[in-house]
Amino acid sequence: MTSAVPVSPARTAGVAGDHVHDKHISTLEELFGDAGDPVNPVGRAEIVAADERGEMLAAGEDLLTGFGLNAHFVPEALGGRFTGLEQLIGVMRAVYRRDPCLGLGYGAGSFMAGVNVWTAGTAAQQLRLADRLLAGDRAACAYHELAHGNDFSRTGLTALPGPDGRRRLNGRKEIVANLRRAGSMVLFARTNPAPGSRSHSQLLLDTDDLDPGSVRHLERFGTVGMRGVQLGGIEFTDCAVPPGSVLGGTAGLGVETALRSFQLTRIALPGMTVGLLDTALRTALRGARSRPLYGGTVTDLPLSRSILAEAFADLLLADTFTTVAARSVHTAPAQAGVYASAVKSFVPPVLMRAVYRLSELLGSQFYLRAAEQPLFQKLLRDVQPSAFGHASRVSCQSALLPQLPLTARRGWLAAEGAALPAETFRPGMPLPGVRFEDLALTGGGRDPLSRSLVAGAADAREDGGIAAQARFWCAELDALAAAASGLGPGAAGPAASPYAFGLTTRWAGVLAASACLNTWWHRPPGADAFADRPAGVLAALHRLGTHLDHHRDPLPGALAEPLYTELVRRFDAGLTFDLDCRPTGA
Amino acid sequence: MTATGLGWPSGLPAALDAAIQGSRAADGPFAAARSARLDAREEFPAEACALLDGCGIARAYVPAEFGGAPGGLPELLASLRTVARHDVTVAVAHGKTFLGAVSTWVAGSAEQRRALARRILDEDAVVSWGLTEPGRGSDLLAGRLTATATEAGGRRLDGTKWPVNNATRGELISVLARTSPQGGARGFSLFLVDKNRLAEGSWRPLPKEPTHGIRGADISGIRFDGAEVPAGALTGRVGDGLEIVLKSLQLTRTVCCSLSLGAGEHALRLVHAFAERRALYGTTLLRLPLARRVLGRAAATVALADAASLMAARSAHCLTGEMSVVSALAKAGVPAIVQQTIDELAELLGARGFLTDRHVDGMFQKLERDHRVVAIFDGSTAVNRSALIAQFPLLGRLAHSGAHDAAGLAAAADVSALPALDHGALRLMSRTGCSVVQGLSAAAGRLGGLAAAGAVPQRAHEVAAALAQEVTAVADAVTALGPATRDTPPEAFALARRYELCFAGASATHLLLADPADEARALRLTAALERSLELLRPGHEAPPDAYEPVLTALAEPDASAGAAVTAKELIA
Amino acid sequence: MSELTARPVPVSVSADEVREWLRDRVAAHTGRPVEEIRPDLPLTEYGLDSVYVLGLCAEIEDHYGIEVEPTVMWDNPALDPLAEALVPLITAH
Repeated sequence: MTSAVPVSPARTAGVAGDHVHDKHISTLEELFGDAGDPVNPVGRAEIVAADERGEMLAAGEDLLTGFGLNAHFVPEALGGRFTGLEQLIGVMRAVYRRDPCLGLGYGAGSFMAGVNVWTAGTAAQQLRLADRLLAGDRAACAYHELAHGNDFSRTGLTALPGPDGRRRLNGRKEIVANLRRAGSMVLFARTNPAPGSRSHSQLLLDTDDLDPGSVRHLERFGTVGMRGVQLGGIEFTDCAVPPGSVLGGTAGLGVETALRSFQLTRIALPGMTVGLLDTALRTALRGARSRPLYGGTVTDLPLSRSILAEAFADLLLADTFTTVAARSVHTAPAQAGVYASAVKSFVPPVLMRAVYRLSELLGSQFYLRAAEQPLFQKLLRDVQPSAFGHASRVSCQSALLPQLPLTARRGWLAAEGAALPAETFRPGMPLPGVRFEDLALTGGGRDPLSRSLVAGAADAREDGGIAAQARFWCAELDALAAAASGLGPGAAGPAASPYAFGLTTRWAGVLAASACLNTWWHRPPGADAFADRPAGVLAALHRLGTHLDHHRDPLPGALAEPLYTELVRRFDAGLTFDLDCRPTGA
Repeated sequence: MTATGLGWPSGLPAALDAAIQGSRAADGPFAAARSARLDAREEFPAEACALLDGCGIARAYVPAEFGGAPGGLPELLASLRTVARHDVTVAVAHGKTFLGAVSTWVAGSAEQRRALARRILDEDAVVSWGLTEPGRGSDLLAGRLTATATEAGGRRLDGTKWPVNNATRGELISVLARTSPQGGARGFSLFLVDKNRLAEGSWRPLPKEPTHGIRGADISGIRFDGAEVPAGALTGRVGDGLEIVLKSLQLTRTVCCSLSLGAGEHALRLVHAFAERRALYGTTLLRLPLARRVLGRAAATVALADAASLMAARSAHCLTGEMSVVSALAKAGVPAIVQQTIDELAELLGARGFLTDRHVDGMFQKLERDHRVVAIFDGSTAVNRSALIAQFPLLGRLAHSGAHDAAGLAAAADVSALPALDHGALRLMSRTGCSVVQGLSAAAGRLGGLAAAGAVPQRAHEVAAALAQEVTAVADAVTALGPATRDTPPEAFALARRYELCFAGASATHLLLADPADEARALRLTAALERSLELLRPGHEAPPDAYEPVLTALAEPDASAGAAVTAKELIA
Repeated sequence: MSELTARPVPVSVSADEVREWLRDRVAAHTGRPVEEIRPDLPLTEYGLDSVYVLGLCAEIEDHYGIEVEPTVMWDNPALDPLAEALVPLITAH
């Protein structure tokens, strides 16, 4: 063992989190007001109506412009308010709680474009995009081509030098948010016809600088969910690329830049989507409590309470895992790629299944779009792209798979490398800034989050459920290490066996368990009554076992009842269901 | 992939399939583009319904003795499945007539049955079924619509039924009404109301409700204000309403499986076609092992759902008294496993499944939304599981003993003949439990003999034997649960789910045993068995090649159609 | 694969040796006979894409007990230049 993690709740000398950041979220919540107020221009009714029309809610966009949401995508050093991933997720989650379309269609696209530039752009390029975003402009992140899906290394759009030596764009991008109305775009293009991973680049383009005659916008893509988001396509024909457009100034670094910078967004997007489940859960509870059944309401049935408690536990599980991953970007940037792939492959299905189960609880209350809870059917449709958007589960698993054997040998069996610093597991506590330059292509076989599990379990002095869970997940890590070191060459790659892909899911499971247990072990002193009792973490771990198909048992009553009680307490007090537990009008 | 079912009961499904296939081109009634357009505009699929009328689908709604099709419930199941395979909305929109009519088959007088049969067969009359009322959820006894006796000997209806499929389009509507102010189990009666014969102003339709899926369907309602109906409108006796409805639901819930089978097949067809064409990494998606596994598993799930639905529909004819259990098992179990499969297939399709217009006219996202209603209407999954849990004590006892109705079970599994459905034999509670499940152990034993003789795959016997162990485990857990209480614990619902899967796997076992010689069918049923075990046992995965046979069959549409044709046909 | 970890590695090594070892590994990864692996062709020719080759990189690290930037695989897309690039790293170690 190379390091130990302090187990007793640390006495953090009076540090009370990031007040400035906290204030931003509170401001945003105040601006959005009470979602249930029928005359609120950004309330529930207006959000559903805009969705029916397939439009972004204009009042919501104005609100976010007034709030200065874009500033949260721009690093502080460039004049923005981006100080860390957890803070960004917190702000965006507040938007997702109201309307996922606003979250994705106003914000997330610009952030995805931004991380490319913050990671690999020249100083001038960074300033340029920062200025545009801070002025309220949008940036489109144009990677996707229908023919190649998430496999951007096979991109068809080319930016090859023409006879005059100047690069020209040929080809198309499809299903990209805000393409038509963005002032800037980060375009992923092939800049060298040779095969391999040094043939692509990002281009940072101002749409005004492109010859309109060589650019054609495709008809908007209609989608079943996120209907307000303007998903466009663009086709270039011999479109001259303005000089200085290649990101970083050197062509050929595109694949590397994408793999490094998207580590942030692969963590951030699932983290934001937790806000969608938050509102879905609130909506389902509202519906179930108002629905008469056999002389009571639906929530009198133990099954209903169990389903609601399980969705709550799913939310806590998803939030804990993404929060720890987001914080680990600050404390272990070299492994951010591993944790980003684990989060993006594991968390979206958890969120989706939870929303699906809640839909079964609501039944006709959601299926009838004009019934008591019309927002729910929108959330059910809006949650779907979290599975395939940005990076699909299989592409994330494919990124984890080649790292599995080395991680087994170095990180798990040889126990190389340190555990994560304790502050990683203390949400809201200060962290060092994100060092974009430290983001790496692979974790180098080190897995500090798993080390934290082993170290924490060894040091834990508690009995009962938590200790049993710690032992269980350490044993699972040992079993996984044995299985992964038995993977033969050729086990990775797209033609890998379902068994090999399954090992990456088990890996993500161990990481999620470590996140949950360590967040518990490092809980601050004087936490509120719920956070100070193990029901929440035990319920999250129980659900983790369900998602990994270790068992299919409902949450035991001893866990379901305290969770349901807490759920109702927060609902009545207007608090969010995530770790933040903050006031919301959603 | 025109005919992947376990056996066509008779010519109607084939005729429907041919007519639908022929109307998919250009902007025909079943063209995907039209389907998408109607869905977007929330318009009723009138042309598609007219096409079904032209095929004589109405015959499937009427018992054979009154001029209906000879194949009974299995034929209806196959017919609506054929429609749902192309458009669930159309199947919901048209199939409702069976739901409206079934109470008359169950409890109407001979004259009432003949008259309704004529209306349906000769006039393609649309019949709807008004059970639910605003704000009352699925609690039938909470209904407030009243039917008060008039001096003329008829009844005066006052109140609202909502939401009701085809409430506006239907000419006839079967209405559950309170006939005793105190309500209660004997306080309701059923009336078949002919809207054409109501006094003007005594009723009005309620507006169409916008819905998440089946957007084109006529989900609306009806309000009665002193609407007088003649004495002959009463179905059964006064006070029999709830009992008739509960028995009728045993048949309609079974038929609901057709929607899941169709939607599951549609999803499988769309995603398989995509995977076949999708080029990546120098190969196709279909050839990548992980995608193959997902598709093969989906095909096996559809086969399992097929087996469960077929046995449920045949049980209505052969194990009629057990339908209170069987219908709940089918209605809770089949939509659940198909929905899970659709969600898994959606992941394979990725962004294309999310588009409403570019990829195959957005058919995937439409069926995905459409199908979510199946687990909600006609008794939700939770309602059906509650019905099952109410009979747990007997089910647990009989599963342990292995006692079952051997003759009824043999008749249900033997698809070469089908007795008429005796509606009078429907019971609110089963006295003999569920013979399909209770007979599994004996069937697994016989399969062992066949496997030893090389007549069925050895694996089929192994899995059937493992399933029999699962039945024992479920029976143990059911017994340990103790008597049902009002505060049913979630664990009981989890047990109900396991029992449903035991039923599905047992169905596949019995069907295999009844006709082991048909090799293609045996492979399909063996894959279904493998899938049932996966669904039952946490962490269990079927052997790597378990689903290859069903996947290969998918790739050869002609061969699979041929296999279905050679399968035993029910009635010529 | 675990047997690779324990094997002692010579301190000085030639580009030829490294290349032959790499050919061996690529053959194992791709399931092709070693003779078919040409050291002058990009590894993408054998279906080893940008993410996949990172796994090969891990094997190099383990076998030679060195740490290399994974991008070495991308900057040297064929085995000949890759072997040349690895030799100084191995020798320095």
